[in-house]
Amino acid sequence: MNKLLTISILLILTISAPFVGILSLELSQLLVSGSFDQNIFFELRLPRLVLAFFAGGLLAISGWLFQTLFRNPLLTPFTLGVSTGAVLGVAIVIVFGGSALYMSSLYLSLGGFIGAMSSTSLLIYFSKYLKSASSILLLGVALSFFFNASLVILFYMSSAMQTQAIVYFTMGSLATIGFFEPLLVTLASLLLLGFLYIRRFELSLLSVSEDSAKLKGVDVSYLTKELLVIASISIGILISITGPIGFIGLVVPHIVRVLYKKNSTSLLLPNFFIGAMFLSSCDLISRIGIAQSDIPIGIITALVGAPFFVYLILKR
Amino acid sequence: MIELKDVCCAYEKSILENVTFKTSKHLTVMGANGSGKSTLAKSIASLLEYKGEMLFNDIPLVSLSLQSRAKTINYVPASLQSYDQFLNIKEYLLMGRYPYKSALQDYSEADYKIVEEIIKYFDFESSKYLNSLSSGQSQLLLIAQALTQNAKLTIFDEPTANLDPKNSKIFLHELKKMMKKTQTILITHDINLAYQLEGNILFIKEKEALFFENKHDFFNTKTLKELYDVEFSISEKGVLASYE
Repeated sequence: MNKLLTISILLILTISAPFVGILSLELSQLLVSGSFDQNIFFELRLPRLVLAFFAGGLLAISGWLFQTLFRNPLLTPFTLGVSTGAVLGVAIVIVFGGSALYMSSLYLSLGGFIGAMSSTSLLIYFSKYLKSASSILLLGVALSFFFNASLVILFYMSSAMQTQAIVYFTMGSLATIGFFEPLLVTLASLLLLGFLYIRRFELSLLSVSEDSAKLKGVDVSYLTKELLVIASISIGILISITGPIGFIGLVVPHIVRVLYKKNSTSLLLPNFFIGAMFLSSCDLISRIGIAQSDIPIGIITALVGAPFFVYLILKR
Repeated sequence: MIELKDVCCAYEKSILENVTFKTSKHLTVMGANGSGKSTLAKSIASLLEYKGEMLFNDIPLVSLSLQSRAKTINYVPASLQSYDQFLNIKEYLLMGRYPYKSALQDYSEADYKIVEEIIKYFDFESSKYLNSLSSGQSQLLLIAQALTQNAKLTIFDEPTANLDPKNSKIFLHELKKMMKKTQTILITHDINLAYQLEGNILFIKEKEALFFENKHDFFNTKTLKELYDVEFSISEKGVLASYE
């Protein structure tokens, strides 16, 4: 009952998302080529829905991956420092990129992607010297703290305008024009989804315990590295485009588990689609909610998701 | 046939040095708390690192691929623990078939059939979640998964520690059946359980492992007194420690 109701509401919100906004669109005008309404729909609203949908799916399955891989319910896609690496990359571009550069979103994305990839490379480089898979996690947390501290130093070096630009990036945004960015995020999310699907049996063994997987012949340390690299590439691409969007990766796996009451590794696709619809719905709320202004998406995901999450925990 | 040559292993506080033995029979491993019984067992199962040589049927374990090692040696922990709350009995048992699965493919019809038969034999409810099982049931489920995995050597680590007498009896029955088909190692504190099993005995005391080819060399009042520092009386019915 809960499951059906939740999915129906999310589905209705998702489908209606591109039709609702500050400007109300005339449905009859959508099919008239070259009309103002059609341009808004195909250049702004639809790309934004595609971006939100696949970003939500990607965030949910990466949260699901980290929680399963390390058997820790508090992990998020950003635990390994990929996100702070990306933010630092963007901040460096904003502060040192010269006055003309920080207006261009392409340069910012590039900075974010390089930041995310450097943090991943560091992680993989250090992981060669580690014995257990769970130490990678500690390493990620340490990197994350280091990047955060570097970010604060950058804040002190930057002007008020630059600081504002950095803060705006850290809050996450789904604003996009055209289909280039949505397409990139779609590919990134399908890449991770594909790998996780192929590795579903191994992940299922890991969801019991590390020993259980080893005893059945799974090469746990290779698998961990492989999936971390793929996840970091996907997340790196996503963050460089949207900035970090919190909460989804943390709670969607839990929400899905409570709704479906099945072992989590059989819930890869439900995680993807509920994450996708959840972010699409939150984006709709952020666009038409308070004062009809574009509230940062990360705030809406937490504002909507947290009470629902608490309700599910209490009801269990 | 399992063979250890000068094996040294260490984990946390327990250290074992130069463990050497060779057996093709059942092996019961006994010893004081913290003496390193589990450390040895986990090393044999390649869960912990060790020095020295281990061979199964004269093939070094290190030369086996992970997949064939899983088909050769299995380790059954003292209790069933799973991070995933919503795993059910059928899904758990199917995991025992993972070493036999072709890479990237789903479990085969034959795997499902083996699991169905085991479920029927133990009279399990296949859709029941692991976290809703009693300790007796989860112990049986561990044995059941070991049966689906069907390794050539299965190591049980204190399987009866959390069991009431009735479930211990069921376990013993299943173990004896398994002993006829494959090689087994049992780690236990239960002297009476050990007394009822045919095979060799390995006793671990102060970093050393003493191997008893004949179980009657171990089950006599003099040896037991030396090893445990407690008086024992042995009758046909069993072994009784004196706590006076």
